[in-house]
Amino acid sequence: MRGRVLVVDDDTALAEMIGIVLRSEGFDPVFCEDGDEALGVFRATQPDLVLLDLMLPGKDGNEVCRQIRGESGVPIVMLTAKSDTVDVVLGLESGADDYISKPFKPKELVARVRARLRRSDEPAPEHLSIGDVSIDVPGHRVVRAGRPISLTPLEFDLLVALARKPWQVFTREILLEKVWGYRHAADTRLVNVHVQRLRSKIENDPEQPEIVVTVRGVGYKAGVTST
Amino acid sequence: MRVAGTWRLVRARTARRVRSGGHAWRSSLQVRVITTTTAIGLVTLVLVGLYVGERMRDSLFDGRVEQVLEESARSTVQAQATFDFSTATQGPDVSRLLEDVVKAQSSGGSGEREVFLLRSPGQRSTVSVGAAASDFALGRSGIVTKQLQVATAVGGQHWQSVAWPTELGDEPAVMVGQNVDVPVAGTFQLFFLYSLQAEQERLDFLQRTLALAAVALVALLGSMTWLVTRQAVRPVRRAAQVAERLADGHLSERMPVKGEDEMARLARSFNEMAAGLQDQISRMEDLSALQRRFVSDVSHELRTPLTTIRMAGEVIHASRADFEPAVKRSAELLQTQLDRFEDLLADLLEISRFDAGAAVLDAEGRDVRDVVIAAADHAFPLAERRGTWLRVTLPEKRAQADIDPRRVERVLRNLLVNAIEHAEGTSVEVTVGADEYAVAVTVRDHGVGMSTVETAHVFDRFWRADPARARTTGGTGLGLAISLEDAHLHGGWLEAWGRPGRGACFRLTLPRRAGIRLTDSPLPLVPDDADPPPVLAPVVRPRTDPAALPELDDDSHSDARQEVR
Repeated sequence: MRGRVLVVDDDTALAEMIGIVLRSEGFDPVFCEDGDEALGVFRATQPDLVLLDLMLPGKDGNEVCRQIRGESGVPIVMLTAKSDTVDVVLGLESGADDYISKPFKPKELVARVRARLRRSDEPAPEHLSIGDVSIDVPGHRVVRAGRPISLTPLEFDLLVALARKPWQVFTREILLEKVWGYRHAADTRLVNVHVQRLRSKIENDPEQPEIVVTVRGVGYKAGVTST
Repeated sequence: MRVAGTWRLVRARTARRVRSGGHAWRSSLQVRVITTTTAIGLVTLVLVGLYVGERMRDSLFDGRVEQVLEESARSTVQAQATFDFSTATQGPDVSRLLEDVVKAQSSGGSGEREVFLLRSPGQRSTVSVGAAASDFALGRSGIVTKQLQVATAVGGQHWQSVAWPTELGDEPAVMVGQNVDVPVAGTFQLFFLYSLQAEQERLDFLQRTLALAAVALVALLGSMTWLVTRQAVRPVRRAAQVAERLADGHLSERMPVKGEDEMARLARSFNEMAAGLQDQISRMEDLSALQRRFVSDVSHELRTPLTTIRMAGEVIHASRADFEPAVKRSAELLQTQLDRFEDLLADLLEISRFDAGAAVLDAEGRDVRDVVIAAADHAFPLAERRGTWLRVTLPEKRAQADIDPRRVERVLRNLLVNAIEHAEGTSVEVTVGADEYAVAVTVRDHGVGMSTVETAHVFDRFWRADPARARTTGGTGLGLAISLEDAHLHGGWLEAWGRPGRGACFRLTLPRRAGIRLTDSPLPLVPDDADPPPVLAPVVRPRTDPAALPELDDDSHSDARQEVR
């Protein structure tokens, strides 16, 4: 069983179609049509990834997203028909890792799913640190000042990408490619929102970030205030 | 731009200074009404006052003079009688007689008067008898004028206004004279001097009272006008304030209605108008919100089935090799038309977002050169297919501007695709220019070009220069309309130039910072080679078919231009 994907979408035709495509790529799709039942199905099936439509009967997608995120770091990809900034940012802020705008091509869908499931399974023992944050890469653990911090896999990847090259300033485009696995996508809102989320977890004062520092007009870099 | 701004400021300041005097006059009805009323009242009162004062003085004076004349006539008759019955024959007797008469007359009569007995001018007497007077010093001071003496000598009663010098200053007075026959001594003239000081004082008092009354009246008039205009103007002012608040968007603002008068009616009608307006606006707001939600819903409702169709199409398309030719071709057509449908839907939604005012500028400081390079990269494959040379000329310095890179790149891609489509195998030139205020990009092709009429319509929705032209790249007909909206969203310009047979040029000009008002573009819209036939300039090596390319002289351009592939 290589990758179970929970598809939460009230449009049965689309859900079925997504199922066909995913199955043909070797994934194992499970379905849920209702926002209220989504969490129950999630608990019962324990998927490796969630594809979540934003407009659902019952609870809406953002709410479902928050609930799932509340108990798991599993990758969540939103399916959205709205590409307006506000809607997208709202979805990302409720905990989604990535989003796909409808209409999308099957290849695009599969690529995004793969990118989110592509967890390096053979990590060499590696310890990184930024400031007083130390990162155990294979153990997937982050500790700041002796206190463990729980990060989602995506936030963890983002932090590791920055920490591996503390001397380098990453543009949003490069981070997109490194962390999300995109080639040409120009949507940098993803990066902005997730950097904010990461900061809210690891910074002492997210307004005055010391770990993930903004380089104005360029992008982000790991802070090297102290070692 | 700066200089123009300063000049405008100076002009405005001067104008303000000139205006400030007349400002209160023009801006306040109340000031105007009070000023006019008071001014008219003042002028009227002054005229009336002058007339009444004159009349008062005349009647006082005339009455007194009449009284004086009567009295002096009576006194003269009395004195004459005294003289007639006198028995004096000698000079000293006559002198004593004169003194007696003077003494008697000065004490008689109403009020204070002085009496002078003078010899009539030109009279010779056998006895030497001098003049007699109740006040010799006054008599000698020449208060009895020669003129009056001469006039009196003719006979009858004569009078003259004189100034009576006293220790308190000159007092107005009247001198009345008449001839009397004095025994032995001949004709004398008897003069009475009456003071008009009492009348003068009465007149002064009356005039003071009058002036005081006038001032009080003017003040009364002013305050009455103020009160009346205040009553009329206050509701108008209030209405103006409420109207301003309404205009600022406080739609629930209303005027207080008091009583049943005209003002109350004004307030009521005003409130009715405001209520109507509020109603209308809220209905339109609802409609606009409805429209926006409709667009958003349509977007969702259309996109979901489209996604399913699209995925199904892809799956079918992927296995088209197994189909017979007709089905295979159908699968391919399905695929390409789905692409087109999707583009059209996306463009329609984008345009309706602009129409709903829901488009938001996601601006960040970016080097426009990078965006141009990205757009050019995107256009290269199409240029290759069309056999068009694409040349990009960039300035050496950074062309930093606050832009929404997604939108600007979309505009540039659009312009490039358009130019390549219409270039018909000739070259397409992209030039970037920057100055202090703006960044500009021109996209020039040397294809069929456009007429002036076509240029005017090129940004219209669904407008096509030549309806018969096949559009193999499948534009939606909304591309340039969206580009124009994108440019406007930045506060920028998007303009087109074209001439049949000379190609076309599109220029995008963007302000470097939000708030800069464009007055000029760093690049010309009309190309230098607009008139001579287009010359094929050396171009960047396309990725296909290098053998077909002319030799490129690298050195000739590398210093001033940076060429991009």
